[in-house]
Amino acid sequence: MMDQYTATFYTHLAAMRSSIALEEAGVQVQLAPVPRRLSSSCGTCALYEAETPMLECMDVDVEAVYRRGRDGFVLLHSNPCT
Amino acid sequence: MQKKKTFWKRYGLLVITGLGVGAAAVLLTALGNPANMGFCIACFLRDIAGALNFQRAGFDAQVGSGIVQYVRPEIIGLVLGSTIIALIRREFKPKGGSSPMLRFVIAVFVMIGALVFLGCPLRMVIRIGGGDLNAVVGLAGFVIGILIGILFLRRGFSLRRAYKQSMAEGLAFPVLMAVLLVLLLVRPGFLAFSAKGPGSMAAPILSALLAALVVGVLAQRSRLCMVGGIRDAVLFRDFHLISAFGAILAAVLAGNLILGKFHLGLADQPIAHMEALWNLLGMVLVGWGSVLLGGCPLRQLILAGEGNTDSAVTVTGFIVGAAVAHNFGLASSAAGIGTGPVAVAVGSGLVVLAAVSVANMQKLEG
Repeated sequence: MMDQYTATFYTHLAAMRSSIALEEAGVQVQLAPVPRRLSSSCGTCALYEAETPMLECMDVDVEAVYRRGRDGFVLLHSNPCT
Repeated sequence: MQKKKTFWKRYGLLVITGLGVGAAAVLLTALGNPANMGFCIACFLRDIAGALNFQRAGFDAQVGSGIVQYVRPEIIGLVLGSTIIALIRREFKPKGGSSPMLRFVIAVFVMIGALVFLGCPLRMVIRIGGGDLNAVVGLAGFVIGILIGILFLRRGFSLRRAYKQSMAEGLAFPVLMAVLLVLLLVRPGFLAFSAKGPGSMAAPILSALLAALVVGVLAQRSRLCMVGGIRDAVLFRDFHLISAFGAILAAVLAGNLILGKFHLGLADQPIAHMEALWNLLGMVLVGWGSVLLGGCPLRQLILAGEGNTDSAVTVTGFIVGAAVAHNFGLASSAAGIGTGPVAVAVGSGLVVLAAVSVANMQKLEG
């Protein structure tokens, strides 16, 4: 069962690093501006489809990981170091 | 029908914001602001630096003031508009600590570049909408600067992450703006107000404040950014933010045509010069520096309004940069570029941005 995920980051660099790690794990990923409903900042997010949230691929500066569904964004993980 | 709905949902707020900014610029100019300068962040921060006596460009002993000294309510309104809507929508989140000193240094050179060109990215678009072709040269420089910045972003440039800050820290800058508003209304003797020149030309305080509050709210909601539009289009093929860029241009163009203020050409443009090389290089500094900072001067004001203390430091850098530009003869005027070491300053700016860019590149593989 594949789900769609959106990961947000504190820096563009963290988004690129996570994107590379996801691709190396065989997950197709697309970088994009963070959806407005998730943040008022203008950072970069990673959009990907996988069976799990693939948290092991996330850079240390990941801000949060959401599952995108019909009900919108469901928060799965947020960085404890704010 | 479905397509129309989707377009409106995707671009509606940004287009409304862009049209609002453009309309406000034309309106405020009609109400007294200098021509083609309805909403120039660089010029207005420079005027505030003047009001605080950080610079006294064109000082005339007979009238006792310089030509660009005024507490612009537009700046105050933009910040407070952002603060108010961010507090209401629970998006006021104090954060900072992402290389504040480097941001300060970059901001100083961004402001010097803007004052060599004579305008921030927003005024660049407003000038193009008034028919000023010198600003098209500036746009070319701006795009070149953004592309250089993107080159470094793609190779691992980062000023590192910000961390949560206290509410007091986040509120400090908006409170300073509120204090500035009180000072504008009280007009104490220690502040300077131009008796002639661009600084003496101003829309009524209430109109300027209200227009800026509305634009501040819209800009916070839409994340309007003059740099972000081109950056996102190149980096992600995402055209959200750039749609506002087009809307501002359309609104200013239409307004100027209706009011008979559209004059196409290079010569005799209001508060502009024709030295193409410096128009180009000035905006290269602005574009490149703004990508490193993560947003244009307008965006920095909005972010500072929602508690981003790195942006507050950046705006402080803009104010210091404006003082430096005028005190050392780097700022241009309608007569041409400044009489100081402009080439040294712009060259130094490019070297500093290159050094900051290279020094902050990190490995892409974490």
